[in-house]
Amino acid sequence: MLTRSNDGPAIEVRDVRRVFESRKGFLFRERTRTEALKGVDLTVERGSIFGLLGPNGAGKTTLTKILSTLLLPTSGTALVLGHDVTKETDWLRPRMGLVLGGERGLYNRISGRDNLRYFADLYGVPLTEREGRIREVLERVGLTDAADRRTEEYSRGMKQKLHIARGILHRPEILFLDEPTIGLDPKSARETRKLIRSLVTDGVTIFLTTHYMFEAEELCPKLAILSKGRIVARDTVDGLRTLVGGDRTIEAEAYGFEDAEVESLKHLPGVSKVVAEEFGPSMRLTLRVRTTETAIAEVRSALPGHPELAVRDRRTSLEDVYLDLVEEEAR
Amino acid sequence: MSATTVRAYSGRRSTMAALRLSFLQFMADPQWLIPSMIAPVIFGLVSFELFRGEGHYYLTYAILGAGMMSMWGQTLYGSGWATGQDRVFGTLEPTLQAPTPYLYVVLGRVIWNVASGLLGGLIVYLVVVGVAGSPPAVPNPVAFVLLFIFVMLTLAAVGVVFAAFYVYTRYAGFIQNIGEFAFYVGTGCMFPVVLLPFWTNPIALFFPPTWALDALRYASIPGYPGFAWGFWPDIAGAVGTTAAYLLLAGAVFRRVERHVLEVGNLADY
Ligand SMILES: Nc1ncnc2c1ncn2[C@@H]1O[C@H](COP(=O)(O)OP(=O)(O)O)[C@@H](O)[C@H]1O
Ligand SMILES: [Mg+2]
Repeated sequence: MLTRSNDGPAIEVRDVRRVFESRKGFLFRERTRTEALKGVDLTVERGSIFGLLGPNGAGKTTLTKILSTLLLPTSGTALVLGHDVTKETDWLRPRMGLVLGGERGLYNRISGRDNLRYFADLYGVPLTEREGRIREVLERVGLTDAADRRTEEYSRGMKQKLHIARGILHRPEILFLDEPTIGLDPKSARETRKLIRSLVTDGVTIFLTTHYMFEAEELCPKLAILSKGRIVARDTVDGLRTLVGGDRTIEAEAYGFEDAEVESLKHLPGVSKVVAEEFGPSMRLTLRVRTTETAIAEVRSALPGHPELAVRDRRTSLEDVYLDLVEEEAR
Repeated sequence: MSATTVRAYSGRRSTMAALRLSFLQFMADPQWLIPSMIAPVIFGLVSFELFRGEGHYYLTYAILGAGMMSMWGQTLYGSGWATGQDRVFGTLEPTLQAPTPYLYVVLGRVIWNVASGLLGGLIVYLVVVGVAGSPPAVPNPVAFVLLFIFVMLTLAAVGVVFAAFYVYTRYAGFIQNIGEFAFYVGTGCMFPVVLLPFWTNPIALFFPPTWALDALRYASIPGYPGFAWGFWPDIAGAVGTTAAYLLLAGAVFRRVERHVLEVGNLADY
């Protein structure tokens, strides 16, 4: 039996940077330099699910691979369970599970069960417990009936479940899930999220990346937003809502607004932000406000001369916050 | 800090797991056995024609020539090829993330490849004996078979180093295709080294199968001119160079496993 690690944070990342020097072609090389992580600081407490949210190319996979010992940071330090990911891989690897997911990453010509047997051996799952554990995880992810079929016959969702089964087979203390529902149909995605929630037991820490805000909102009590290699926010879902200066959002739609009108809205009391965007044939203004008590009426009167004007308000969603943060970073 | 003295993996068990995986993947498509059986048949027939009439021991020459040709690829490149497949399947990352050093996985595949390489050798033997109508005049058949297996093992040791190259870069297959024939000839596996130009000798001498094969020729062909100093020096040379390759493999694998984490090219294929 492996000893469990002591208390302290599950993950501590200090100023981690990662540069990729990629070369295209073998003989005639074209060099490109990508700074995927530009100084990331992050602390993740033990237990529950921590979400790392960010658009494509933000650096989520890069950070996941660094934490799971598949990639070295160019600089900075990263500790997982109190151990250095660049030096203490022998200690860390048996205590970590990694689910990169996707169509690939499995031996397609053999059965799901044989895939699990192989990795159980490589992870040193006690031989006497191997078959029982495999049955247990197959049951848990709902693949018992398909266990002896070749994985090339599996649907995308079933492959994802098998990836997760492999990730938990050796009972890791920390589990990394990189975009676990990407590419799944809505039903499989829902099943997968349900499965992930069920994994939060016995103090296992789950580090999950996603580019779906609703997924982070549904699964992750705490999260960080990564944009272009930087953490731009780190909080609870409710904390993030207040971060943009209000937890209500007003949307005003019409066939076009003057710049002056947009400017005047920005000066209304309680309005922290106004974004104008094309919305089909019309234009939409999105306002972040602290309270809507008077705001709707004020917005209406600030936008005269639009008979087709529609104004409504709603609770600010995490998606709004997320887009705000990611857009701010982009500007 | 709760350091553990318990190692999480067993190298032997991982090697057996890799061997079992090779077997399962083979059993998933056993029809691949047919093309891999055709090549030894053709090599055997061609080799028989090439050496026919070349003295009393031409059958032995024919068997050794064709046998090496058919076993060569499987044993030397089989493990590297499987690593290349790991890249294509996307299984290289999860495999390297597991606690077991990748070298143990490669060793399992080496065992598999030696076994299937020997099957090729057996086919060659049967084909040559079949067309000749009589078995070769081998003074000591037991030594012949044992040395044959020995040649395979020295070849496999080189294969392990090659496999590291496939972990290192996805271009390994490409480079191997370019170099293969020159390498095959240069190392004296096709023709005895004595027939090759002098400048190729250093390559041949640092290649364990050269020595092992020379020992095999000594043992099975009385009067064989040889390139070295006799049977036992050949065995010593083979053991020494094989040990060097295995040490090299251990060092190279540790470095390569680190290198790919630095470069981050494990997902490339
Ligand atoms: N192996 C690599 N070689 C070169 N560039 C890479 C490599 N991996 C990732 N990148 C680049 O680093 C950035 C972050 O990528 P990634 O971590 O995959 O983002 P995400 O997972 O958030 O979509 C991207 O610009 C990507 O192109
Ligand atoms: Mg990604």
